[in-house]
Amino acid sequence: MDVLQAKNLTKKFGKFIAVDNISLSLKEGEILGLLGPNGAGKTTTIDMLLGILKSTSGEISMFDLPFEKNKVKILKQMNFSAAYVNLPWRLTVLENLYTFARLYEVKDYIGKVEKLIEEFKMTKLKNELTLKLSSGQMTRLYLCKAFINDPKILLLDEPTAFLDPDIADFTRKYILKRVKQSKTSVLFTSHNMPEVNEICDRVIFLNQGKIIAEDTPEGLIRKIKSCKVRLFFASDTKRAETLLNNFNYKFWPDNKDTIIELEEKNVGQLLGRLSLAKLKYTQITIDKPTLEDFFIKIARKKI
Amino acid sequence: MSIQRIFAIVIRHIYVWPRSMERLMWSFGWPFVDIVIWGVTMSYLQKSATSSFSFVNVILGGLILWTIIWRTANEMAINFLDEVWNKNLINVFSTPLRPAEFILAMVILNFIKLTLTIIFMTIASWLFYKFNIIASFGFFLPILFFNLLMTGLAFGLFVLALILRFGVSVQELAWSLVAFIQPFSCVFYPLSALPEWGQKIAKFIPSTYVFEEMRTILFAKSDLIAKNTVNWSNLWISMILNTIYLTFALWFFYQMFENARENGRLIKMQ
Repeated sequence: MDVLQAKNLTKKFGKFIAVDNISLSLKEGEILGLLGPNGAGKTTTIDMLLGILKSTSGEISMFDLPFEKNKVKILKQMNFSAAYVNLPWRLTVLENLYTFARLYEVKDYIGKVEKLIEEFKMTKLKNELTLKLSSGQMTRLYLCKAFINDPKILLLDEPTAFLDPDIADFTRKYILKRVKQSKTSVLFTSHNMPEVNEICDRVIFLNQGKIIAEDTPEGLIRKIKSCKVRLFFASDTKRAETLLNNFNYKFWPDNKDTIIELEEKNVGQLLGRLSLAKLKYTQITIDKPTLEDFFIKIARKKI
Repeated sequence: MSIQRIFAIVIRHIYVWPRSMERLMWSFGWPFVDIVIWGVTMSYLQKSATSSFSFVNVILGGLILWTIIWRTANEMAINFLDEVWNKNLINVFSTPLRPAEFILAMVILNFIKLTLTIIFMTIASWLFYKFNIIASFGFFLPILFFNLLMTGLAFGLFVLALILRFGVSVQELAWSLVAFIQPFSCVFYPLSALPEWGQKIAKFIPSTYVFEEMRTILFAKSDLIAKNTVNWSNLWISMILNTIYLTFALWFFYQMFENARENGRLIKMQ
């Protein structure tokens, strides 16, 4: 069941088209990644879905209700967190969470806040002013705020940006736990491709305001046919380069290694040719394509 | 309308109040400095005056009543700007909070803070200069207070709408715009003291009528004029002008809020 549907969504700022006729849907309990280079239209899309930016054209509906006409009802069941927004610095952790719990009209909010604070290991910090928190503690506070109303739809705009690997890992695991427990649907943007690969069920790639690819992370990776073979030639490097040149392989040196980019199905052929030429390599690594490779190729318009 | 959401915004700003030096200064520090400076100046001038009428009372009365407009107009815009400065605007307006609830919260918040400021100024002026605003204005006090509150709200909302339209580059107006109407409001002098062109402008400002009647009440108290000379029509004109301006300011605010949602200024502001 789709909890969110956007049809033909367009946002123009004067002559500039930030989002160009995109349609997307989000299923119950799904984590949808919204990816793309800077300026692709990800944040603009999120802002429209939050209702703080009006679309130029197109329709948004959530829980089968038109968004604009049912904004209050819908927003009660949504929440949001982003790396570029803060919470009031001169309020304590508790005061900030109480404020947002009241704004979302959370029943028994004192108990709810206590539970979240405990889950995010912030009990000792609950009476600290927000301005005294470290960036990791701050992110945990933002996530407490994001889950305060047990949202059915959660929009997360680069929630793990600026976080150290440990806290970023904690954040991902928490999101996955919540999705599993309460079937929260998440729209997630990030520039961290391994992270997207780890948590997203489906990915939409945006570039210059348009959707240019949509699939599972694995499906997108499969669209890249090439892989990278890294070889270390103990000797005969010159002869190896001549051979690679003769067969028109795309290759480049990387420190003492040689990297060859070729289609995965041709790896055997390459190794056969090296063997026939009696070229000895002492180390070999085959790097399969990643979502990051797909991202780079899309951004450079090579797909 | 949700009482809980309105309360959330009110209490969020109340939390900040005692922790913010500048806010404490606006609420109590500067009003106290004004009371002392003006009180001392007028007491000194009074000594060389031939009239038995207390000019201190007129000035302090004007000062306390002007604070109602000044603080109200400031509070409306500054509490909104506080969300911008804290990069919290998107968080607040992505909740189910309606703009009307936000405005109502600002009005309630302002009323609470203003009441405390006025009580503080009343006590200070009574302690230092024996000027009792409650005894001086009697049942007129709530009428004057309400009228000036409306003027402050209209101005505050107008400035808020300008900030939504032009962004934080015009945030200075939150402090300064209301000061431009002070000379025409005739806070410390009668309308007749203004040049003719100034009087024409002053007649379009609701607070002018209030301050004219404030002086009438104080003159009557000092037996300088008859007791029943308060001109009710002036208070009605003030009320009608306030209603017109407040309606316009509300309409303008809503237009600019929707405009800011359309052109992305609500997001870019922070």
